[in-house]
Amino acid sequence: MLSGGTTGSYGTNSPRILLVDDDPNLLVVLAEQLREDGFEVTTARDGTEALRRLEAAWPDLLIVDMMMPRKDGLSLAREIKERADLPIIVLSAIDAADSKANLLEEVAEDYVTKPYHYPELRARIHRVLRRLGDRVPRRSLVLGPALTLELHRRVAIVDGRPVGLTPTESRLLYSLAANLGNTVPTETLLARGWAETEDADPSYVWVTMRRLRQKLERDPNHPVHLLTVRGIGYRLVATGDGSAAPGTTG
Amino acid sequence: MIDPQGDRRRDRESEPSTEAFGTFGSRLAFRTRITLALVAAAVVPLATFGIVLVASGLLGTDTTLPRLLLFAIVVVILLAVLAAYLLAADLTRPLRVIAAAVDRVSAGNLDTPIEVAGEDELARLAESHNRLAADLERRNRELERILQAVEASSPRDGVDWLVGRAAADAREAFGLIDSAIVLGDPASVPAEETIPGEPRPVRAELRSGGEPIGVLVGHLPATRRWERADQDLLELFAREVGVALRNAELFARVEAQNVQLLELDAAKDDFLRGVSHNLQTPLTSIRAYAEQLAADHPDRRLEIIAEQAERLSRMVRQLLTVTRLESGSLRPAAEVVALAPRVRRAWEAIAVQERPFSLEDRSGGWLAIADPDQLDQVLWALLDNAVRHGGDGPVDVEIAADEVAGRLRLTITDHGPGVPEADRARLFGRFERGGARRAEDGSGLGLYVSRELSRAMGGDLVLEPAAPGRGAAFSLYLPGEPPLE
Repeated sequence: MLSGGTTGSYGTNSPRILLVDDDPNLLVVLAEQLREDGFEVTTARDGTEALRRLEAAWPDLLIVDMMMPRKDGLSLAREIKERADLPIIVLSAIDAADSKANLLEEVAEDYVTKPYHYPELRARIHRVLRRLGDRVPRRSLVLGPALTLELHRRVAIVDGRPVGLTPTESRLLYSLAANLGNTVPTETLLARGWAETEDADPSYVWVTMRRLRQKLERDPNHPVHLLTVRGIGYRLVATGDGSAAPGTTG
Repeated sequence: MIDPQGDRRRDRESEPSTEAFGTFGSRLAFRTRITLALVAAAVVPLATFGIVLVASGLLGTDTTLPRLLLFAIVVVILLAVLAAYLLAADLTRPLRVIAAAVDRVSAGNLDTPIEVAGEDELARLAESHNRLAADLERRNRELERILQAVEASSPRDGVDWLVGRAAADAREAFGLIDSAIVLGDPASVPAEETIPGEPRPVRAELRSGGEPIGVLVGHLPATRRWERADQDLLELFAREVGVALRNAELFARVEAQNVQLLELDAAKDDFLRGVSHNLQTPLTSIRAYAEQLAADHPDRRLEIIAEQAERLSRMVRQLLTVTRLESGSLRPAAEVVALAPRVRRAWEAIAVQERPFSLEDRSGGWLAIADPDQLDQVLWALLDNAVRHGGDGPVDVEIAADEVAGRLRLTITDHGPGVPEADRARLFGRFERGGARRAEDGSGLGLYVSRELSRAMGGDLVLEPAAPGRGAAFSLYLPGEPPLE
């Protein structure tokens, strides 16, 4: 389990970022800004070049422009995801409310809407890098007879009905599922769920968890999956038929 | 497969069919029996009279003779009446049986045939009756199958499927050996001649709106009869098939148009996403370079370049939002957001540092449930609006929680001239700029987009009533939650 995770500390090496954008101006200015913040940056002008760069060295994070000639960002992201679980941030005109957002989320850890402000992008990069230690091995996570999580498509199956999750809700659940059965401190959830630029405080976690309970629990007043560990944090537990014991499902 | 008809038929078969209806029990032919009755009627009185005469001759003239004669006559008359009654009853019985059977048929009971014994005229009458009942029952079954077939067809099934299905239904309903539906001019399928001993051809035209659209052809087993009523039924069926085919055709056309419209809509969305993206990319570079330069060489002109690039970006974004609102492809995510820091950030983004600004947060820590990206758009538009129409006066923002209603209110007030009465009603319309007074700037979409976005997020945007001492005041309502663990 990864502990809270503080901004800017990623071990001894600085994080390596591969930046892919067909606009040379943007490439130059963004690479410069990222280098100033201590990232190790390589750039590529299109998808083909990006794949060549990946053969030489594997970065910690890929930032890719959605619209590029030859191979667009989405196809590139899909191709890379098939080979390995490299976290990807997509730059696009799409935001969370767009009907195409789900498409993006299947392959991208996050997406930043153009025009972006550099501080916001940097905060998103930090948030994604903080998540690197979390691993949810299965795409479909059965937590009990009445609850299954399919976080890659931002859906929970509650009593057989699909329930949509917001990007933040699925990030929190991802973090909880990676530590199934164990308590995750509120501060950790805060760092996983929100970027620093979003002015979030612990009440964001409380309210989001309460809303998640309304969505996922049969009786939100007597939760069986999403448990509060008062004063510390939250715990996601599997229940029911025993086959969903911690460790076997996640 | 479920065959309710079959079940019903089996039920009927299991009933005792002969009980109360009687049979043609007599072994004597009808003609013989009439002859016997006539003979009895004529011969019995004559024979009686003769016997009496002979008896009176044998006995001589006795005084008892007239009394005996009288007694004999009475006895014979009684016997004759009895014999006539019995014979009459026997004679009319088959007629009563047939009458009862006709009554049953007219009441709809078609499957209790008269049991026929013998080969006389009445037996043939009974056989004809049975055949009539059987024909009626068969056509009823055919009609029922036709109705079922018509009922089961849906325009959604498509023309090809319906054609195949209708041909199969015709085979089943009419007991055809083969059948086919040929669409197009019926004359293109020449009528076949009936050759005795060979399967008998049948055909009926399919019509739609009076126009022939095809023909149903098939063959009957050579042994099957094909009467006028059967042809009528086949034509009725063909007519229904014609109607169903036309409906399917119209449905398919509408569906195709729908699909085309959806594709067009999706293509338009993709196009606008592309345009928006391609406009945002250079704007992002312009702003980033201007900001970089301004950091090294502070210059108000560089700040203006960055601000205006930002403003242009927001307008492009707004246009994309309008099209998404209209195509219904905008689905806001319900995230948790604190309003006060968001307002402060939006105020910084629209970059009017010299304008007095106050923010009063009385939300008590309540958090709004909103899509942060869309909320930003609303705040930018409302603050921009207040700056542009507020003269040089301060812009005041107040945030309050309505704990009972479970919602937050955010009111943005300027100190300009306010909204004239005439403009209030159409302020939130598309491309409205609050009359000529406001024509000088903006896309005219800000308030429209803001209200639509607010509503899409489960809230609303209203213009507060005019009040002395202030300009326009807009209140944004959003669902809210208390900040409890």
